[in-house]
Amino acid sequence: MSELSVNHLLGIKYLNKQDVQLIFETADHFKEVINRPIKKVPSLRDITIANLFFENSTRTKLSFELAEKRLSADVINFSAAQSSVKKGETLIDTVNNILSMKVDMVVMRHPNPGASVFLSKHIKANIINAGDGAHEHPTQALLDSYSIREKLGEVAGKNVVIVGDILHSRVALSNIYALKLQGANVKVCGPKTLIPKYIEKLGVTVETDLRKALQWCDVANMLRVQNERMDISYFPSTREYTQQFGVNKELLDSLDKEITIMHPGPINRGVEITSDVADSKQAIILDQVQNGVAVRMAVIYLLASKLKQ
Amino acid sequence: MNLLIKSAFIIDTKSDFHNSTQDILIEKGKISKIGTPLENPNNYKELVLDNLHVSQGWFDSSVCFGEPGFEDRETIANGLKTAAKSGFTSVAMQANTHPVIDSNSDIFFVNSKAQNNAVTLLPIGALTKNSESVDLAELYDMKTAGAVAFSDYKTPISNPNLLKIALQYASNFDGLVCSFPQEKRIAGLGVMNENVMSTSLGLKGNPNLAEALQIARDLYILEYTNGKLHIPTISTAESVELIREAKKKKLDVTCSVAIHNLLFSDEVLSDFDTVYKVNPPLRTQKDIEALIEGVKDGTIDMVTSDHNPVTIEDKKVEFEQAAYGTIGLESAFGALQTLFSTKKTIGLLTKGKSRFGLENSSLNIGELANLTLFNPDTKYTFSEEHIVSKSKNSLFLNTDLKGSVYGIIANKKLSL
Repeated sequence: MSELSVNHLLGIKYLNKQDVQLIFETADHFKEVINRPIKKVPSLRDITIANLFFENSTRTKLSFELAEKRLSADVINFSAAQSSVKKGETLIDTVNNILSMKVDMVVMRHPNPGASVFLSKHIKANIINAGDGAHEHPTQALLDSYSIREKLGEVAGKNVVIVGDILHSRVALSNIYALKLQGANVKVCGPKTLIPKYIEKLGVTVETDLRKALQWCDVANMLRVQNERMDISYFPSTREYTQQFGVNKELLDSLDKEITIMHPGPINRGVEITSDVADSKQAIILDQVQNGVAVRMAVIYLLASKLKQ
Repeated sequence: MNLLIKSAFIIDTKSDFHNSTQDILIEKGKISKIGTPLENPNNYKELVLDNLHVSQGWFDSSVCFGEPGFEDRETIANGLKTAAKSGFTSVAMQANTHPVIDSNSDIFFVNSKAQNNAVTLLPIGALTKNSESVDLAELYDMKTAGAVAFSDYKTPISNPNLLKIALQYASNFDGLVCSFPQEKRIAGLGVMNENVMSTSLGLKGNPNLAEALQIARDLYILEYTNGKLHIPTISTAESVELIREAKKKKLDVTCSVAIHNLLFSDEVLSDFDTVYKVNPPLRTQKDIEALIEGVKDGTIDMVTSDHNPVTIEDKKVEFEQAAYGTIGLESAFGALQTLFSTKKTIGLLTKGKSRFGLENSSLNIGELANLTLFNPDTKYTFSEEHIVSKSKNSLFLNTDLKGSVYGIIANKKLSL
C-alpha cells in the first residue's frame, strides 16, 4: 500500500511528487464520499485530533473540523484567545498539556513562520501545518492544485500566475512549491514592494504588468493583501493597488482566452477582484472550498494510517 | 606566582624566541628566564603539558556576561572563568546589562566584580544613557573609571547627528566610539539574512543594504569629525569594501568580524534552528569569502567571539520569538584554526589589544607574564562538555574544531 514519505505535513517543500499524487488520488475517493447522502466514513474512529489555532481562521478551521468529523475522528478545538498562552505559557508546554490528554494528531495554525517545524521536533504527535506566518499553508496549496487538476485535467505544463501580496503570503509560497513540483509554470505578479527580492531563485518569474500576466496564464490565483502583516505601508492606497492589480470583468473579457480565476479567501470584493469576476463562471472559488474538505480528509487519513503502524 | 613551564613552543613574532621550543621560568608573575633546558633550583611548580604551545595572551573585543541584571544568562565570575579556559587573558565586556552600564559607578561595580582574577575585564561603557540612542552618557567620567570604549552594543545609532557629536566629543580624550552597523529602518523586522533562504522560510529578511548603508554613513561622519571609530561585527562583502576604501583614506577606523560569520552561511537555517539566530545574521558564501579576504589583507582588524549567553527559555521557542546570540569563547580558537594557520589565528586573537587600550606585551625576559597555553593540533567535535558558560547556546555544537586550550597565565595567576 502506498504511503506518504513524511510523518507530518509541515510544508509542501517537504513532500515529493508521489506524495502529492497519493493525496490527490485519496482525495478523489473522499470527494465521492462527501457527495453521498451519508457523508461520513468510520476510518478514524479511534483517533483524536486537536485543532490548535493560535491565529484567527474561519474557513480553514471549519474545513479541517468537517474533514475530521467526516472521518469519524474525535475532535477538540482550541484557540489562542481562550488559552493560557496569554498567561505566558510556552508553545511546547501548551501543546504537551493537550497531548497528555491522549491526542494523536495536531492541526496547528500559528502566526510565526516555522512554528509547526519547531513543534514537530519537540512533541510526539503527527502535525499538520494549517498555516504558519508567511511560511507555508500546505493544505491550501494542495487543494488549489487539486482544483486546477479537476478543472483543467492536469497541473503539469499549465501556466499559473499568483497575483497580489506575495511577500506576506504563505499561500503563495506553498503554491509555488506545489506547482513547481508538479511541473507547472509559475509567475508572480504584484507591486515590487510585495514581491520578495529573491523570489526568482525559487524558479518563478516576476511580472508587474497584470494584463501581460493574465494574457500568459491558464489560471490566475488572486491573493488578498495582508494588511495585518504589514509593518509599514507598501503601497499608497487600496484604490491605487486595485487600479494596477485588481481583476475586473472588463479586463477578463478583453483577454484572448478564458482563464480560470482562483482565490483562497477571504475575498476583499472590489479590491483584488470585483464581484462580477468572483461570481463568474470562470471563478472556481467555491469549488476550491469544497475540494478543501476532501483534500484535508485525504491528508488526515494518510497521516493517521502512518500513526497506526 | 612562581612557575617553570617546560618545553613550550613559543609563537610570538615580537619575541626573541619566536618559533622555538623553550623552558620559561616565571617568578613573581614575571618572565625571568627563557632557555632550554632551564634548571629549577628553587623547586618551583613545573608545568609539563602535551604539545604545549605558548603565545601572548588573547583578547576578545566583545563579550556579554549578563551581570548585573541577567545573572540567569551568565555571571561575571563564571564568564571570566570561561574566558580563562578559552585562552583569553583579557575581554571587553558589553554594557547590555540591567541596568545598562552607563555611569562611572556602574564601571566601578563591574571592575570590583572582576578584581583579583587571572583575566582582565575591560568594561565598555554605554555610548548613550540607558543605551537608548538619545543622549550621550557621561563618557569622560566612565573613561576615567576604566571604560575602554563606548558602545550601545546592538542598538544602532539611528541619528547621524548623535554619532557626529559622539565622535567629536570623545576625541577630546581619545575615546573609542563603537557604532553597530545596521540601518534599523532598512533592517525592519528582518530576523535573518534576506536571500532565497529567508524567502523559502517565510521569514522577514535583513538585507546587506542595511549594514552597508549604515557603515557608509558612519564613514562620512568619521571623515568630517576626525574621531576614532570602531565598527563591530561586520558581516557583508559590501562592508569589507567600504572599510577597505576608508582605510586607504587613512581614516581612524577599525572593525571586527564575529567568528561564526566567517564559518556559517544562512543555509544552516533551513530547519528554523534558533541556535543560528544571531545579529548580524549569517549571510551568504559570497559574504564569507569577502570577510575572509578582509581578514587576510588586514581590512578587518580583529575577530571576536561576540560571546552572548542566552538562556534556553529564550532560545527554545518559535524562531521569531527567540533571542539573538551565540556563545563563542569556548570555540573561538578551535573554529579559527579550521580557517587559518596557528600563527595567523594567534595574530587575530591578539591584534585588537592596542585599539582597546591594552599594552601589547611580548614573550620576552623581564615582561609580565601574560600568556595563553594551548595545543594547536587536537581535533574534536565541539559538544556540551566543552562549554563552561552557564548558557549552552552555541552554534558551534557538533562542529569539528581544531586546537584546544590549556589555560592562561596572567595577572600573576595560573588558570588551567
